[in-house]
Amino acid sequence: MVIEATTKQVYSSGVKPIWCPGCGDFGVYAAITKALTDLKVDKSNAMIVSGIGCSSSMPQPFSTYGMHSLHGRLLPVASGAKLANHDLTVIGTGGDGDGYGIGVGHLVHTARRNINLTYIVMDNETYGLTTGQTSPTAMMGHKTKSTPFGAIEMPVNPLALAISAGATYVARGFSGDTVHLAEMIKGAIMHKGFALVDVFSPCVTFNHDNTYDWFRPRIYKLDQSNHDPSDLGKALGKAVEDFQTNWEKIPIGLFYQNNRPSYEELDITLKNGPLVKQGNPTKEQILGMLEENR
Amino acid sequence: MPDVTVRIAGANGDGVESSGALLMKVAAKNGMQAFGYRGYQSIIRGGHVWFQVRVSDAENKLHSHGDQIDVLIALNQDAITNQAPHLRQGASVIYDPTKIKVDSLDASKYRLAPVPMLDIAMQVSGDPIMRNTVAIGATLRLLGIEMKVFEEVIKSMFSRKGEKVVNSNVMAAAQGYGIEGLGTIHQIKGDGRSRYVLDGNTALAIGAYAGGCKFYSAYPMTPASSILHWFAAHADRGVFFKQTEDEIAAINMAIGASNTGVRAMCGTSGGGFSLMVEGLGLAGMLETPLVVVESQRTGPSTGLPTKTEQGDLLFVMHASQGEFPRIVVAPRSVEESFYIAAEALNLADRYQCPVIIMMDLYISEHVETIEGFDTNSITIDRGKVVASNPEQGRFKRYLYSADGISPRAFPGTPGTEHVAPSDEHDEYGDLVSDALSGIDKYVEVRRKMMKKRMDKIDTMLKNEKVFAPGIYNEGADFFLVTFGSTTEPAMEAVEILKGMGFNAGVISFSYLMPLDREKTAEMLKGRKLIDVEVNYTAQLSQVIMMNTGIEIKDRILKYDGEALTGKEIADGVVPLVSRK
Repeated sequence: MVIEATTKQVYSSGVKPIWCPGCGDFGVYAAITKALTDLKVDKSNAMIVSGIGCSSSMPQPFSTYGMHSLHGRLLPVASGAKLANHDLTVIGTGGDGDGYGIGVGHLVHTARRNINLTYIVMDNETYGLTTGQTSPTAMMGHKTKSTPFGAIEMPVNPLALAISAGATYVARGFSGDTVHLAEMIKGAIMHKGFALVDVFSPCVTFNHDNTYDWFRPRIYKLDQSNHDPSDLGKALGKAVEDFQTNWEKIPIGLFYQNNRPSYEELDITLKNGPLVKQGNPTKEQILGMLEENR
Repeated sequence: MPDVTVRIAGANGDGVESSGALLMKVAAKNGMQAFGYRGYQSIIRGGHVWFQVRVSDAENKLHSHGDQIDVLIALNQDAITNQAPHLRQGASVIYDPTKIKVDSLDASKYRLAPVPMLDIAMQVSGDPIMRNTVAIGATLRLLGIEMKVFEEVIKSMFSRKGEKVVNSNVMAAAQGYGIEGLGTIHQIKGDGRSRYVLDGNTALAIGAYAGGCKFYSAYPMTPASSILHWFAAHADRGVFFKQTEDEIAAINMAIGASNTGVRAMCGTSGGGFSLMVEGLGLAGMLETPLVVVESQRTGPSTGLPTKTEQGDLLFVMHASQGEFPRIVVAPRSVEESFYIAAEALNLADRYQCPVIIMMDLYISEHVETIEGFDTNSITIDRGKVVASNPEQGRFKRYLYSADGISPRAFPGTPGTEHVAPSDEHDEYGDLVSDALSGIDKYVEVRRKMMKKRMDKIDTMLKNEKVFAPGIYNEGADFFLVTFGSTTEPAMEAVEILKGMGFNAGVISFSYLMPLDREKTAEMLKGRKLIDVEVNYTAQLSQVIMMNTGIEIKDRILKYDGEALTGKEIADGVVPLVSRK
């Protein structure tokens, strides 16, 4: 049964998210809704998987399937869902602490596997739900409850990390520009492989450095700058531009895209179709497995 | 002598294991009983390794790898030094006189059998590795096993490598067989009916396959790795396997897959299970069916990576924060590993909870002959799975139900969309945590949802018969109390004790959590009990105490990394039952 999605209400469960008024995550919610609507994704075939943190209440307001998992573990959970039924549209939604801190190892390995997932990270450079501690993407000098004298660690560069780990779609959006963000998410969903969409999603309560007003004059769009996303070297160059310019110039848009085959296309078991639709073994097959041990 | 114990000893890389496997196959094909166990270290070349094969007549089922050595195949000098204390008086020692000195052995106590293995190997094939085959040939002669079956086994094992390899193996063995003066020390009688040779991990993997397991995720760790090897090798036949970056990913992937509708399993040893613990609680909260294999080795920490122990029982029973229903089961034999793996998948689906199968290095890795499996007894029960929303409105994935089990629907099904959440939630799966906890209405939701989950324990105990121990030789004067892999050696101890004039029985646990307290207490009370475990703190006796209040004071415990044998248990029992 294909449900024709004509209105945004199709994707709404009616549950309210926990975000503070003005939270960047509302923009991400709007952009995901627009992407699902524009692509007419069947809601019963969509699965939104989150980790833990403010961003991780994302599955709740959606009427699709969802899983709300553990801090940092959404990528393995989402991978399991996709590997079990690769007919599903699987979207992971998490935060910077979740994906670039406690779960960063999974980012590297999910990227190199190139499982056909969309991974949206709401990057607010802080730990919101635990009331404001430093984050792996916090800028040097940023003061929080856990870094009252200023952060002294270099921030993680998620885009450069994902590109070098083998992700095949790497983009960045800004929750202050939901139309552009929705386009990045649509591209990610349509892309056949692992897609990371890093989103500047300001925390209005705990991060008073990286605000909407701080971002606006600094960001510019890659699609208006003759960037070639198929060029790995240029993509990496763009991914480090914010670091190199001391955050004076911050590109958003599609940094990198490559169409190497996805994991599901290469795996010997999954080539025969979604696992969930494959039948159970017959008595003869079971006996055959036993006979190998004679 | 009812059976013969052969130990092949040498260095890693000498082909000790493949020689042991060959001997196992020959015995199995002849319709004999055989039981094999490997002693090894975490080293790829060198070290001192041995493979012990115990062989007996067709009607004499073996329960352990045996104690003293009847035939030693010494592949290097260390083998003489290290194995001398384990030789039975009168044991045969097969060695290469051109390489190995046996002056340290008392020639009046042992049958020294010099076999110029290397010379024969070089003469037959030019390949020194063939010396093992020469020794196996000599061993077959000692056991009175004819060369004909050996040839068949060699053909089935090496036909892919070409006729030349097959022929040189047969020639090498025939030369060993024909060494003058060997004679037959004990004629083993087979019934001619070929048997399977399986280790516990392979039996478990095939059992899981038979039970419809389609997804296995794991990170390599001894002694669980051979499960992943099996799944990886059969990935072209409908079982998906994923080697993950760590055990955290392994369990969380399995949860994601199971929630999506495939039967999923992950496996590891104690160290990896430590990493899986948070995921275990996730499965408990999401009520996602999940089977986790925990094959124990000697701890704590990295411990003795290639040695056995039953030291993780209490850890596995209590791992994770909070409370949720789980099933813990420890197969008592290789054969039982097959059936329990299949049934664990049913129990996980039926009660929507994690099921942990506790193996250990001994049961995971030892090989034994098995006549056959009743594949007709394997059924697949997916539990309360619905194909559409039984009610109007939003689907209640976590419906409050009398038995604690709520309807489950797989993603892809129209009308049953829901979120499976790790936070506390209501019947729809909506969170009652961050914004709502503490508000009266949601205090009530928490209470009811917690009770709903926990009610599944009562339902399991009511509907399933498995949650109580089994008893062997009910009329015995005293009972050895065991769980998992220690059960088989205890069965052997009963036979040994019988020969010494004692009437012993065994009370053994496979399912350990939950326990039917009444049935368990009824079986234990008023009986003289001796707790037998491979750990330091007698963890099973603690579980029994916790559930029944019965304290077992007499204990036989071992924690040196080696498995308990029947004789060791019998030796431990005698002073406990003889004292007044």
